[in-house]
Amino acid sequence: MPSFKLDGQDIPFEPGETIIAAARRAGVDIPHYCWHPGLSVAANCRMCLVEVLPPAGRKAMMLDVLEWDADKQDYVPAKKPKLVPSCQQAAGEGMEVASSSSEHVARARSAVQELLLLNHPVDCPICDQAGECRLQDYWLEHQGTKKRMHDEIVHKPKGVVFGPTIVYDAERCIVCTRCVRFCEEVVKDPVLEKRERGNLSEITLAPGRELDHGYTLMTEHVCPVGALTARDFRFKARVWFLRSAPSVCMGCATGCNAYLDFDPRDDTVYRHRPRENMAVNQYWMCDEGMLDYRRVHEGRLLAARVRGKKATLGDALEKAAGVLSGVDPERLGVVLSAQHSNEDNFALLRLGRDYLGTGHIYVSGRAEGLGDPVLKHADKNPNAAGVTALCTSTPPKTFAELAKDIHDGRITHVIALGSYSSDATKTEALGKLQGLVTLATREGPVAKHATVVLPVSSWAECDGTFVNAKGMAQESEKAITPRGDSLPGWKLVAALAKQLGLPMAWTKLAQVRKAMAPEAGATVAHATGAEA
Amino acid sequence: MLQKTTFLSHSYAKPDGHTLAAYESAGGYKNARKALGMSRDAVVDEVKKAKIRGRGGAGFDCGTKWTFMPKESKKPCYLVVNADEGEPGTFKDRTIMERNPHSVVEGCIIGCFGIGAHAAYIYVRDELHLSKERLWAAIEEARAKGYLGQKPFGLDYPVEVYVQTGAGAYICGEETALLNSLEGRRGEPRYKPPFPAQVGAFGCPTTVNNLETIAIVPTVIGMGGEAFCKLSTLAEFNDGGSRLFGVSGHVKTPGVFECSVGLTLRELIYDLGGGILGDKRLLAVIPGGSSCPVMLPEELVNVPGDPRFEPYNGKSVLDLPLGVETFRSVGGMLGTCCAIVLSEDADPVLALHNLMRFYRHESCGQCTPCREGCGWIERILDKIVEGRATLDELDQLHRIASDITGNTICAFGDGAAQPVLSFVKKFRKQFEDYVLTGGKSQTKKLVA
Repeated sequence: MPSFKLDGQDIPFEPGETIIAAARRAGVDIPHYCWHPGLSVAANCRMCLVEVLPPAGRKAMMLDVLEWDADKQDYVPAKKPKLVPSCQQAAGEGMEVASSSSEHVARARSAVQELLLLNHPVDCPICDQAGECRLQDYWLEHQGTKKRMHDEIVHKPKGVVFGPTIVYDAERCIVCTRCVRFCEEVVKDPVLEKRERGNLSEITLAPGRELDHGYTLMTEHVCPVGALTARDFRFKARVWFLRSAPSVCMGCATGCNAYLDFDPRDDTVYRHRPRENMAVNQYWMCDEGMLDYRRVHEGRLLAARVRGKKATLGDALEKAAGVLSGVDPERLGVVLSAQHSNEDNFALLRLGRDYLGTGHIYVSGRAEGLGDPVLKHADKNPNAAGVTALCTSTPPKTFAELAKDIHDGRITHVIALGSYSSDATKTEALGKLQGLVTLATREGPVAKHATVVLPVSSWAECDGTFVNAKGMAQESEKAITPRGDSLPGWKLVAALAKQLGLPMAWTKLAQVRKAMAPEAGATVAHATGAEA
Repeated sequence: MLQKTTFLSHSYAKPDGHTLAAYESAGGYKNARKALGMSRDAVVDEVKKAKIRGRGGAGFDCGTKWTFMPKESKKPCYLVVNADEGEPGTFKDRTIMERNPHSVVEGCIIGCFGIGAHAAYIYVRDELHLSKERLWAAIEEARAKGYLGQKPFGLDYPVEVYVQTGAGAYICGEETALLNSLEGRRGEPRYKPPFPAQVGAFGCPTTVNNLETIAIVPTVIGMGGEAFCKLSTLAEFNDGGSRLFGVSGHVKTPGVFECSVGLTLRELIYDLGGGILGDKRLLAVIPGGSSCPVMLPEELVNVPGDPRFEPYNGKSVLDLPLGVETFRSVGGMLGTCCAIVLSEDADPVLALHNLMRFYRHESCGQCTPCREGCGWIERILDKIVEGRATLDELDQLHRIASDITGNTICAFGDGAAQPVLSFVKKFRKQFEDYVLTGGKSQTKKLVA
């Protein structure tokens, strides 16, 4: 692979690749605002300017500028090289590029930084971007001087509601047009545009429109400053109190790689945001997915129930074992869940199929929804492929088939994972069961009809593996401690097995994974998780 | 050397000079017919020999620019004529559009043939209503006569010419912003490369020429490139032919004059412009459009080591012939050759303030240095003029301008920075006086 030198370091590049992109791949960050690896090049922020040294024997293009000579009390002519934006300049074999090692680059960046903050309100104490704002970071790294403009700043519209999810502050905006380009190039819905000129420039909505496509929260995510804020997140948390766990989005079968941002002090998840994975979601996530973190806290089932009454976990396990013991395996159904991890499903499958001896395996999940050509999959479950892969010999039957089997009297007892019914019209059949043990994260139709309900931790509270529609097994890591009395599904299954006197002595996730390995098939993909 | 010519301005004095009849009676459209009978290479060759430096301000050689166009292209090629004349002090193109529009149409036919295009778009500044009207009328006349369309002059080379209007933004005079505007996009300059000859209008190979450059092409074909080039005394500086010179400001007879290249500023101001109003002393002159550095009559030419400059070394810049390379070599810029003259009664501080109001207003707002820098400079100048500025703020001006220079996508940033750098360097005393007296030093006016 050809290479060039950046501040003396060899950087390999693909032909046609820009300096900034090649440097990023090599782990060197050239400061930038407007450039984004997933968007077209705008080259407008001028933060990524670098000095490309001329080939040997050639002179650099020099520009005439002025310096003030305090001794002479007069201006003296000065020269400076023409700098180039590294986001636009293609790398060349043997090219010598000075970024952090050039005094001219340092001065240009300092100037850009000062100019970006010139008419900025510097309202960091009330800005949600504070703590993850490039204006702050780069001020420390590249400027560090006090403001030299002491007049009133240029005032522009503030608190402009762009749509159901986003609020815009033009005074904080650096007009990098990342949001404009994102809507146009990724979503193909050019709803944002620039208006006015010069230092009055601002982002505006297309006439008669709202920012209401399916990826509006991404505009806030690509915004490098606090100009666009999410109505869902603003004023809720300070980012320096948050920690991030690499997770997988539970919204659909695409399995977008994400971060769950949570506050460890109160075990609360505040935000879901994309984590780069070029093989899955690139840099993006949809609104549905980004707001899906709410399912960690909303509609949760946090305590065990026996016949509708709250119970301790111990009592409930005892009752559940009572429901299941002595049941004819031919009348017992096992319902796996496309909403739950491979580990949870595998544990239940092992219990029902291998120990209790039933061959009646079903799968439930959320009903189909709308997909789109960008990321959204019509299958709104994160692990349908994983469940299918676990049931190696015969594919699991549907929820509708379960309803029919109950109706026909073939199934009298069920042990189910998850609370979604896949088909709302078929849930009544559950009422006919003689016994129903449900291991569920959320309230739902299955939990409603259950004899015994055992509370399962959500994906945010335990590690788990999910297989997306492309067949990629992806790990999602634990963020917060299990809420309420909940436990990871596989742990509950193991506890239930123990109650039933069965030898399923798993106490660690690693044991489950080891047992599962030959059956899960797919390899686990680890994402890079770099920041754009 | 003052040598008047009338290739473009022959029709200026005639009331019906803009009509096809008048144009043809002066030999019009013969040259387009002739060009279409030549080979494409031969046409480009003549234009190269003519050494026409682009008349829009950047001074790039027209013939060389035409050679950048692909010889064979799967996509259509376009000629785009830049008539978005909006530089303060520049008003030469509108005289051609208003009084000799057929020279533009004829130039478009030859230009299209030379670059392999079949359509030309003339992008006219929206405020020039008469220009648009005259161009449209000329195109209609030419089409009715069969000079445009599928078979111009009965020859097999289709050419269409269209007029497209801008929407009042100075930045759309920058060629790539013009192309964006032409396509219906926001008028913001594009990053180069790719250059328009590769990816221009509608993503196709495009040549963008200034309107005066295109209008003189028929003359070049008529008299031959070499003969045209020799009209100039600056042929050895690769600056050929004749061009329009404008002079405005504090002169007795401001206007547009057509002369051979080689004219000096002194001739332009005193012979063509009639001298300074009220016979005052000349304070300064901005040679060609407001983006060029201001020059003082006391400045002397000093270019050692180049024999071509020997006759001028030691003389005032006023006696240096106006050429792209001559002025570049003395730290100036020729620009559009439309000089703005300031008499000793004029206040250079007010003059710079006036210019920077313009640049702040017209910055497209794309690149950070220009977007914020122009506004900051204007704000400091506001305070200087109002007597509220400090010396500290005065000392910011050259620093901000130096930080804009070279750090933007297009040349607008440099164009806005040049006046600042040259004014503060050459008039530091006047700026200091404003600051030290709280603006009371302002005894002079902007308008003489």
